[in-house]
Amino acid sequence: MAFLGVGFFAGMRAASPDMISTIDNYFDKQNVYDIQVLSTLGLTNDDIEAIKQVEGVQKAYGEYSEDVLINYEDTEIVTKVLTIDDINKPILIEGRMPENKSECLVEKAFCSRTGKKIGDNLIIEEANGSIIKEKEVNIVGTMNSPLYVSRQRDTSKLGSGMVSYNMYLPKESFDSEVYTVIYIELANSKQMVTDSQEYNDYVQEVTTKIEEIKAQRETARYDEVKALAQKELEEGEAKLEEEKVTADNKLKEAENEIIEGERKLNSAEITLNNKSKEAEQKFKLAEENIKTAKAKIEEEEENFKTQEQNANAQIEILNKQKQGLQINLQSINTNIEELQTKLDKINESLNNNNLTQEEIANLQAQKENIENTLINIKAQKSGVEAGILNINNGLEQIQNGIKEGKEKLNNAKTTLENNEEELNRTKELTNKQLESAKQEIDTSKKQLQEGRKTFEINKAEYEEKIKDAEKELADAKRKIQEIEHPTWYILDRNSNSGYSGFMQDTKSIENLGRVFPIVFFVIATLISLTSMTRMVEEQRVQIGTMKALGYNKAQIASKYLVYSGLACLIGGSIGMIIGFETLPRIIWMMYSMMYVIPNFIASFNVYFAILGLGLASVCIIGASIYTVLKIVGDTPAQLMRPKAPKAGKRILLERIPFIWKHLSFSRKVTVRNIFRYKKRVFMTIVGIAGSTALILTGFGIKDAISDILIKQYENVYNYDMQISLKSDLEETDVENFIKTLEEKEEINKIAEANMTSGTLVNGENEEAVQIIIAKDEKINELIHLSDRKTKEEVQLEEGKIAITDKVAELLEVKKGDTIVLKDADGKENSVIISDIVENYIYHYVYMPKSLYEQLYGEYDTNVLFTQNNVENEQEELASKLLKESNVNTVSLSSNIENVMDDMMRNLNYVVVILIVSAGMLTFVVLYNLSNINISERIRELASLKVLGFYDKEVYDYVTRETAILTAIGIIFGLIGGYFLSIFIVKTCEINVLRFGQEISVLSYIYSVAITVIFTVIVNIVTYFALKKIDMIESLKSIE
Amino acid sequence: MSYIEFKNVNKEYKMGEVTIKALDNTNFNIEKGELVVIVGPSGAGKTTTLNILGGMDNVTSGEVIVDGKQVNKLNNKELIKYRREDIGFIFQFYNLVQNLTAVENVELATQICKDSLDPETIIEKVGLKERKKNFPSQLSGGEQQRVAIARAIAKNPKLLLCDEPTGALDYKTGKQILKLLQDTSRKENMTVIIITHNTALAPMADKVIHFKNGRAEKIETNENPTSIEEIEW
Repeated sequence: MAFLGVGFFAGMRAASPDMISTIDNYFDKQNVYDIQVLSTLGLTNDDIEAIKQVEGVQKAYGEYSEDVLINYEDTEIVTKVLTIDDINKPILIEGRMPENKSECLVEKAFCSRTGKKIGDNLIIEEANGSIIKEKEVNIVGTMNSPLYVSRQRDTSKLGSGMVSYNMYLPKESFDSEVYTVIYIELANSKQMVTDSQEYNDYVQEVTTKIEEIKAQRETARYDEVKALAQKELEEGEAKLEEEKVTADNKLKEAENEIIEGERKLNSAEITLNNKSKEAEQKFKLAEENIKTAKAKIEEEEENFKTQEQNANAQIEILNKQKQGLQINLQSINTNIEELQTKLDKINESLNNNNLTQEEIANLQAQKENIENTLINIKAQKSGVEAGILNINNGLEQIQNGIKEGKEKLNNAKTTLENNEEELNRTKELTNKQLESAKQEIDTSKKQLQEGRKTFEINKAEYEEKIKDAEKELADAKRKIQEIEHPTWYILDRNSNSGYSGFMQDTKSIENLGRVFPIVFFVIATLISLTSMTRMVEEQRVQIGTMKALGYNKAQIASKYLVYSGLACLIGGSIGMIIGFETLPRIIWMMYSMMYVIPNFIASFNVYFAILGLGLASVCIIGASIYTVLKIVGDTPAQLMRPKAPKAGKRILLERIPFIWKHLSFSRKVTVRNIFRYKKRVFMTIVGIAGSTALILTGFGIKDAISDILIKQYENVYNYDMQISLKSDLEETDVENFIKTLEEKEEINKIAEANMTSGTLVNGENEEAVQIIIAKDEKINELIHLSDRKTKEEVQLEEGKIAITDKVAELLEVKKGDTIVLKDADGKENSVIISDIVENYIYHYVYMPKSLYEQLYGEYDTNVLFTQNNVENEQEELASKLLKESNVNTVSLSSNIENVMDDMMRNLNYVVVILIVSAGMLTFVVLYNLSNINISERIRELASLKVLGFYDKEVYDYVTRETAILTAIGIIFGLIGGYFLSIFIVKTCEINVLRFGQEISVLSYIYSVAITVIFTVIVNIVTYFALKKIDMIESLKSIE
Repeated sequence: MSYIEFKNVNKEYKMGEVTIKALDNTNFNIEKGELVVIVGPSGAGKTTTLNILGGMDNVTSGEVIVDGKQVNKLNNKELIKYRREDIGFIFQFYNLVQNLTAVENVELATQICKDSLDPETIIEKVGLKERKKNFPSQLSGGEQQRVAIARAIAKNPKLLLCDEPTGALDYKTGKQILKLLQDTSRKENMTVIIITHNTALAPMADKVIHFKNGRAEKIETNENPTSIEEIEW
């Protein structure tokens, strides 16, 4: 019993310190940070220097990390890339450490999932603003990271919102001016055990010191970033200005050119117009001249015609005159001729001498007359001829005149025509020239217009650009304005979820280790007590003999005490060794399914060893003393005689004949037997009750914790999906987005809310909470607010808040109290609690929109809760939504449930531990007791056998009692287990969780069943023990 | 064919390396309704014989026949049945169930037998009518032994086996007990075997078997057994 008690005690108690020392050793070896500093604006070398100056800081490491997507087949694996450095060193499992910047370490699980091997390459998906330079990395090894001891990975803004695997790259693979995180190694932390009071104080001390430089560094960083941004802005502005000037100049030039062109064109046009006008005028003039000339010519022609006519008439007259003259002339000529002929005849007659002088003188006188006539006539003729000549001359003159006139006219006409022709030609030419000039002008005009158009476009473009640039600058300016003062987050190891989870688990184990071994001890003590009693009783004759021989009490007692002490020491030591070695290892093995921490250290804990042994000794030796003293007090004579079997007694029940008479004989026997061995009965009941309680507690714990999820997601959260929106959305964006969501078939209901974090303060106590500001009453459909006690639905009241039950309990506030709500900026407001609502995971404050606006101003929706229609396609819907530009993250309730389920699974181990140990307990208790029972009553049982009781009947005779006692024990155990599990649940309860306090019916059934099974096993053993009872030996007369 | 036949019975106990011969080729016969007294020194094999007869022990070799039943060939279950139905045992230290009253101790036996007698009657018969509701611790030794006898005969057994029934009792009480046994044998025609190391009791028996060194050395038959009242020792 000492073995079991001490072993269990030592093992259970040592488990938690062993786990802690293991993780401490692991963390020391891998040089895991003591404090990490994160900043919203990154961290610089100056920050590192500043931190290094802080007292207690041994080293500060600036590290990078980034979440990336790694493409694998069709999926993207969200991977967190961490830096290999001398802090948080990953443990190499296979392969080698990276030697250059394109070599990486991955988790083994990553390899098994993707089928990649050492030597394979991975493609890192390009992302904006990535600080990782390498796009293709080569796997050179697999590792475990001390930063991620649990299977849980960080949240991410990428993909599913969860990091799937970690990866390590050398520092050179990153390219960033600022570090993501500074890890701090403290000077003396290695000597301390992590999470010990000493360590926590030390870390706290340094943290406080770092807090002191925090503000200054924040401001410095702020200034730096702002200055940088400002500088960039200024540069941008300058550049813009410059560009603006050049562009303006260019534009102006272009415009001037266009204007010049236009001007030129205009003047050209004007000139052209003038010219054409001039030309026209000229032409007109010329034409007019020509016209006048033509008219003159015509007039002249007319005149000439008239003149011609006149001339012609003159000519006619003249011709007539001429004709008359000619006729005259002719007659003259005929006269002449006649005369001549007469003259000639005369002359001939004269010349003919024959003629008398009077004849001659007549002839002569005739001649003379004729001659005279002739001369006259001749004169006449000459006159006529002259007349004719005159006329001819006149005619000629006239004709010449006409001719001349005509010629002149014709000449004039020709000249005119020529002129006209020339004019026309000139006109045509001019026109042509004008036309081409005009065309030219038109073309230029067109060109110019095009030019202008281009110019306009360019100008518009330019203006647009300028506007953009200006907007950009304005944005930049605004951004500078908006550059938030960076906040440093100085975190210790507890911020590491794996570590803190582990520590919490060690606490749970510790709590278990505190409670369970006590139960074991109590039972072990009881059993030791009976065992010792049995031993002492068996040896009473011997004691009596010794007493009779003259040994004194102390001598006799010391024999038994030495015996029990030795037993206790030997058993305890063995138990201790085994306990220290095995139990923590078993527990560790169970936990190692959840945590990756190598090299478990099962240490020999002197404190627990001494404490365990001491306790065991006190209990067992104490029990021995009690029994021995009771006996050695008797006289030797009494002792020499066998102890009279315990006398039979009437029991109370017999006085109630009504019941008693209705009991069968064997029942009566049983009942009476039960009341006969009170100590044994008590022991049995306690033992059974204890183990039932332990088993029930195991199940109860499981129920309590697995309950949380069910209750949180069934009683409280009715939503299936939580969509968190990007922070910089406009109200209309949100509205539109909601509209599109509403149109989706998959989505049933949507409620809008703003989710933010804050702190509730009541006096000294503070608790971090999530604040959910409900936009409207729709939230009630998706988050079920109900009073924890009455389960009645609760509506948010105007101007008041509702808080969740656990935080109310922690802060000791109740309905109607006023509490201080501190927001993320540290602003404090007093608010009235309208209700305390049921909740299981984390703490929440629910607030109506109106109150929020009253306290903080403008409300904007940043979270949507939805209830979906489809069961199976949720993942798909979520990933679809995640691609929306408005959506930041999408978390599915079902996913969270899965994750939590995993977490809960390890609780089964606790239950298993409890059940196994409780089972052992049941077995030991029952076995021991039934052994005592049998040996105490061996004569009685032998008598029964002699009487001819069948084995079965003997067995029944004994075990009927056991059965009844077991039943009673179980009932007590269930009651005790109920309280024990509540107690343990309370001790194990994590601040942010409200464990369920209801144990399911199934758990009761299981507990009972398991206890019964153990009882049955013991009974089977008993059956054979009974069968073996040797009647002859047992009934042998005591000689 | 006798009612009880003990034929060439050997019984050896192995105590580590030493073999102890408790019965060495023992032979005797007992007739129905006989009152037999077995006498002999300690370690002569008396109790072993009784145990074998009572079906509490088996033989190493030889035959034991009781009422035509070959007891040495019975298996465990049949042995129990045999004990249950055919045998009544009476011990030196009564072996009453302490937690049961006198009548209840008798009842304990009767409830498992088919043709048992009424416990109340039996108790009355052994003269404990007044004390039937008492617990064994409230009874004297003789009274306790009477209860034991009542318990044994209540089963209406074929054979009543008594191992030193008076060993723990004073003379007078012992006598009363023996009287009771003798009377039972006579009245009920029950075969009664009494072990005693007190040879003075021999005259009361129909048959006396003397045991020595694991053998039935001498078997005497009393044609006229003396009544117990007449025997003094």
